[in-house]
Amino acid sequence: MPADAVAVPSDGWKSAKMGQSGSQINSRRGHMVGQSLSRVNDAELIREAQRGNRQAFEDLVRQYDHAVLRLALHLTGSEQDAKDIYQDAFLKAYRNLGSFRFECSFYTWIYRIVTNLCLDHLRKRQVRKEDAPVVTDSSGEEYSLIDQVADDRSGASPERDLMRRELGARIAKALEKLTPRERMVFEMKHYQGLKLRTIGDALNTTEETAKNTLFRATQKLRAALADVR
Amino acid sequence: MNCEWVKENVTLYVYDELADDARHEVEQHAHRCIDCARELKTVREFHQQMNVLPQLEVTPNLLASARMELQEALETTEQKRNWTRLAFDPMHWLRQMRFSPALAAVLLMVGFGGGMGTMYRMAKSGPVAPNGGTPNQQTQEASISGIRNIVQQPGSNQVQIQYDKTFPEQVSGSIDDPHIQQLLLYAARNNYNSGLRMDSIDLLKDKPQDDRVREALIFALRYDSNPGVRLKAEEGLASFVKQDIRVRNAMLEALLNDNNPGVRAGALHALEPVKTDTSVRQALQQLAQEDPSQFVRTESRRLLASMPQID
Repeated sequence: MPADAVAVPSDGWKSAKMGQSGSQINSRRGHMVGQSLSRVNDAELIREAQRGNRQAFEDLVRQYDHAVLRLALHLTGSEQDAKDIYQDAFLKAYRNLGSFRFECSFYTWIYRIVTNLCLDHLRKRQVRKEDAPVVTDSSGEEYSLIDQVADDRSGASPERDLMRRELGARIAKALEKLTPRERMVFEMKHYQGLKLRTIGDALNTTEETAKNTLFRATQKLRAALADVR
Repeated sequence: MNCEWVKENVTLYVYDELADDARHEVEQHAHRCIDCARELKTVREFHQQMNVLPQLEVTPNLLASARMELQEALETTEQKRNWTRLAFDPMHWLRQMRFSPALAAVLLMVGFGGGMGTMYRMAKSGPVAPNGGTPNQQTQEASISGIRNIVQQPGSNQVQIQYDKTFPEQVSGSIDDPHIQQLLLYAARNNYNSGLRMDSIDLLKDKPQDDRVREALIFALRYDSNPGVRLKAEEGLASFVKQDIRVRNAMLEALLNDNNPGVRAGALHALEPVKTDTSVRQALQQLAQEDPSQFVRTESRRLLASMPQID
């Protein structure tokens, strides 16, 4: 979710009745309905949620949860780990909502919580020294990330396919060698498209520090991939 | 603009983090300097290389599953109360007690023990009520809601206990009475009992000309978990659909989002006076195709058919 995007209005858990995901329903909403939903003041929603109104909290969460799940999934490579981070983040937000005093945007506040949880996950993973870049789906099935770098274009040569798979594996290995903070900053900048200012806020630091961390990360990655044509 | 500066900022350029003037300078310099143009090309290639890494995308099933699990977990999660910021909300506290029988039992014991402590000196004298009435009269008139402070006088058996009491109260009056209205507005939002919320909305819906009442009705239509309460609120708001844009928007939301077909059908009828409004027409077109309730689809088509043709 780009840092300067307007939070997409949510239609609440009630849209589950349609049997479709919220994002698909949102994309088909009328223009005026989107505007009318956006008139529900976020501050009002937050205050209601702080008074214990769970529906208001769920409406608030709906604005951010797709982006949060996406970030967690990209970082962890595991659907179950991503769901765990997602759940921990929003439960923590719910429990501590009373301490949110509008000193920053709710967007920043949520991203701070998610970022900290992702950093914890990365630190634990570093300690376990996992080497093989594998992903696990929701059924617990593991498969090598390398196998996913397949070139489905017709006429693709096996050699090019092999090169892409090798490059994918090397990128995954190079990312594993970054520190958790470097990995986090690179993930949020490169794969999530967030502004450095947002990344700095989420890490509770300055934009300048986030910038320097990004430089270090890109230098390390470029060095690791320098001999790749 | 020198090469060193450009090479330091080319990463930010590729990530579109530079200000417009700095971005322009980088582009102009790269046109003139072969080294910096090569560096820019290398960084762009690196950028594209990093995208070779396969990324799992969030499927609708994954998102739906995560949402459902969160919803279940929220059922048993409590918010930390920040007492310095929020005033004590007795209704919310009562709601918590309803789901925590063990905690309620402990509090009763503490409250009773504290109440007994205020009635007896630690030295062997008989019970003394703080206000001079008999102890039984005191405990009958009020229930202890919390012990604030217990202080023992040093070197003695004297104990001082500060505690809060809640007294049941009753008030009667006309629904035009501001005090009665205030209590009804409170009940409409805060009561855990949907029957009481419905009773209060039922009374308030006859007074939608009052701005605060209308706000409470809009809130109930948007957020109340009970469809009966939402229907009552809808009934009260229907006559204001034309003149109040907030009411119209709340009805539109209910029309498109409410999971109860009765509430959606009610919103349909309420929006009939403004059916030619663009947003309403768009909503009707969508419902005519997609609503899961046949009645709502049919009614939407009927309303669309009865509209004059607009180019």
